Amino acid sequence: MGTEKIKENRRKFFKSSVALLGGTLLYSLLKPFELIAQNKEDAVKEDKANDTLWGMGVDIETCIGCGKCAEACKIENNVPKEPFYFRTWVEQYTVKNNGKVKIESPNGGIGGLKQSVPDKDIFKSFMVPKLCNHCTNAPCVQACPVGATFISPDGVVLVDETYCIGCSYCIQACPYGARFMNPVTKVADKCTFCYHRITKGLEPACVEVCPTNARIFGNLRDKKSKLVKFLQKKQTQVLKPHLNTHSKVFYNGLSSEVK
Amino acid sequence: MPKVIFRLFSTFVVFVGVFILIQQYLKPDSFGKYGHYRANAINDAKLIPLKYKGEKKCTTCHQDIYDLKYSDLHDAVSCESCHIPKILATDACKINPPKVEGSNEFCGQCHAINAGRLKKGPPQLDFKDHYEKQNCIDCHNSHAPWELKK
Amino acid sequence: MEEHFQHLYQALSHVDGYIYPNEIDLHWGLMIVLYPYITGLVAGAFILASLERVFNVKVLKPTYGLALLTALAFLLVATLPLVSHLQHPLRSYEIFMTPNPTSAMAIFGFVYLWYLMVVLLLEIWFDYRLDFVIWSKKSTGFKKYFYKIITLGINDTDEKSAKLDDKLGYFITVLGIPSAFLLHGYVGFIFGSIKANPWWSSVLMPVIFLFSAMVSGIALVMVIYMVVSWVRKVKIEMPVLDTIAKYLLYILIIDFTLESLDQVHRIYEAEESFDIIKVLVGGKLNITLIYMQVLLGTIIPLFTIGFFQIYKPSEKIRKTCYFLVGIMVLVGIFFMRWNVVIGGQLFSKSLSGFTSFSAVYSGMEGYLMAAVWLLLPLLILAFLLWLMPPWKKISFKVN
Repeated sequence: MGTEKIKENRRKFFKSSVALLGGTLLYSLLKPFELIAQNKEDAVKEDKANDTLWGMGVDIETCIGCGKCAEACKIENNVPKEPFYFRTWVEQYTVKNNGKVKIESPNGGIGGLKQSVPDKDIFKSFMVPKLCNHCTNAPCVQACPVGATFISPDGVVLVDETYCIGCSYCIQACPYGARFMNPVTKVADKCTFCYHRITKGLEPACVEVCPTNARIFGNLRDKKSKLVKFLQKKQTQVLKPHLNTHSKVFYNGLSSEVK
Repeated sequence: MPKVIFRLFSTFVVFVGVFILIQQYLKPDSFGKYGHYRANAINDAKLIPLKYKGEKKCTTCHQDIYDLKYSDLHDAVSCESCHIPKILATDACKINPPKVEGSNEFCGQCHAINAGRLKKGPPQLDFKDHYEKQNCIDCHNSHAPWELKK
Repeated sequence: MEEHFQHLYQALSHVDGYIYPNEIDLHWGLMIVLYPYITGLVAGAFILASLERVFNVKVLKPTYGLALLTALAFLLVATLPLVSHLQHPLRSYEIFMTPNPTSAMAIFGFVYLWYLMVVLLLEIWFDYRLDFVIWSKKSTGFKKYFYKIITLGINDTDEKSAKLDDKLGYFITVLGIPSAFLLHGYVGFIFGSIKANPWWSSVLMPVIFLFSAMVSGIALVMVIYMVVSWVRKVKIEMPVLDTIAKYLLYILIIDFTLESLDQVHRIYEAEESFDIIKVLVGGKLNITLIYMQVLLGTIIPLFTIGFFQIYKPSEKIRKTCYFLVGIMVLVGIFFMRWNVVIGGQLFSKSLSGFTSFSAVYSGMEGYLMAAVWLLLPLLILAFLLWLMPPWKKISFKVN
């Protein structure tokens, strides 16, 4: 009985060592192929590293809240004129002496933002343009059930108007309130960085009309672009960084009151 | 295998097979090329007609006004900031020329005093103290604002 | 569209504080409140049925067939509120063609189909097959043809095939329990995974949805059992009712614990969103949350049934109380869905203001549409009970 056990153990030992040896041999045979495959992937990745990656900078210290960007955007992109649909808008923050913060954006700032708090109560006040942040880790793209919203190879989050079913899940998922349901096309709508302009070498409409150069558009991978220079010189921040959306709209002068 | 299980299982397999066939037929052609979306949608996004031409296009006919603007402080302002296009960028300007009123309300979009605008860019004033009843362009040349008419 | 703009201008004038300009309109309305409610009823009714089949709670046998048919009737209607809500309903097939693997909502089509066909229809089929064969011989007209076709040609009535049906039905039920969890759990995940909305984003959301679904489903079967027995002029078996109420109590306790945990945690941590949520719960959601969901839908039923475990009053009193408690729970769970869906959109993502919800009566998102979607399953259930009465089954007499 004892020898039976020893034989059994020996059998097991042989079996496991053969299995181990065989496995190692197989692995070493396959590894070079894996490396070749990896090289191909790396090569593709490197190619992508030279492609355009669109982004935007917003200079809060320069914005005067004239609202021309919001107006131009609506005209360029056929956004309904009613005050419920905005691809971009400007907010005015007024921090009062009593510590309370008043935020307003009547009609998205179109027509110019007007002071609504008397001077004597104001501690500080500033304007903040808002738009779609074209996040690299966009929660809206993650949420879309059919693949109607997506990130283009050059980093712009777009909506396929012929494919969107109008479920509004992306609108719920956007932390920045950048999306809306277009009442005419009945699909989700938002800032596209004026894709039809930037792919022709022009700038987005909002950047085109800004009288104080508060919006800086460019290729994040172009070291010589105005945008990259802006990012280099200024202390920039993104909105809601704790949500890890990897936003590509960078704000200079972002005060802690900004929502 | 009992008859019942065989029949149910084969029904299931047929159903899945038909479903996959329909899926291949109905899925848009360019879907999945770059990611989980219809790749042709990128092209669709590029084909939207332009409205804003860009400043440089205005100079083809209005070089003189552009030069005048360049000589004064409004050179920082694009033509189309004030002259909002009412037509497609490809159409000639002669149809529906965009006019500007130059009223206090219009110029006030940039120039009205606002606590959020201090120490920046354009000069600001309180229109109540500055010719409230008149239009800005009654005195100021809109393309060269420091050139006063009176 | 003009009417819609009118309603939006009104909402604009009622804005409290600051909201992002695009947030004036609530994108998910009554239909999206209804959908989790209906799928919750399905999952809950099924879990009650599985209590008898898998966990051998034999006293619940009279409600087994009823619970399954209730689940089926409501499942058939479940997609309809969603289709009412979509802006492009004709494109809804895209969810089946190109489901996005990162989207919780994309699972919907497949989980729904799986649950409907592989779980519910199959289980009902295995349970009723023998009876279909027997009934097809006894009836005439439409019923006769229906029974004949539905047996799919498997006409064995011997002991062996009956045992096989039973075994397979048991297997399907076991498979059905995690499927029911998935069917309703993913709905909770749809909300729970939205980091942009602090009222929704919570690990507990799928679990809370699931347990509140079970509560609503059990209450539904309890009420339907009482109504059907009353219509049939048959005596209600008190042990059945007492047992259903007991399970309702247990699940209510778990549900209440989970909901309380969610709120206590939120109050304790008091992170960024707490200030606005405090105002939301104390203001716009005050009636629907504190009074309807918690007091009416949870506390009163909890204490009533809990009290009955200690002291059992007369049958008549118990019956009345169970009926009222059932209705209260059903209403309370509806408001739970309301508070999640509507409540989450009433405050701005800027955490600085509120918009408002205004009731619409007509149109795809109106009260009338909601009433239709809620009454339709009851009509379907009545039809199913006429077609496949559980009390006429061979096995029903065996108790």
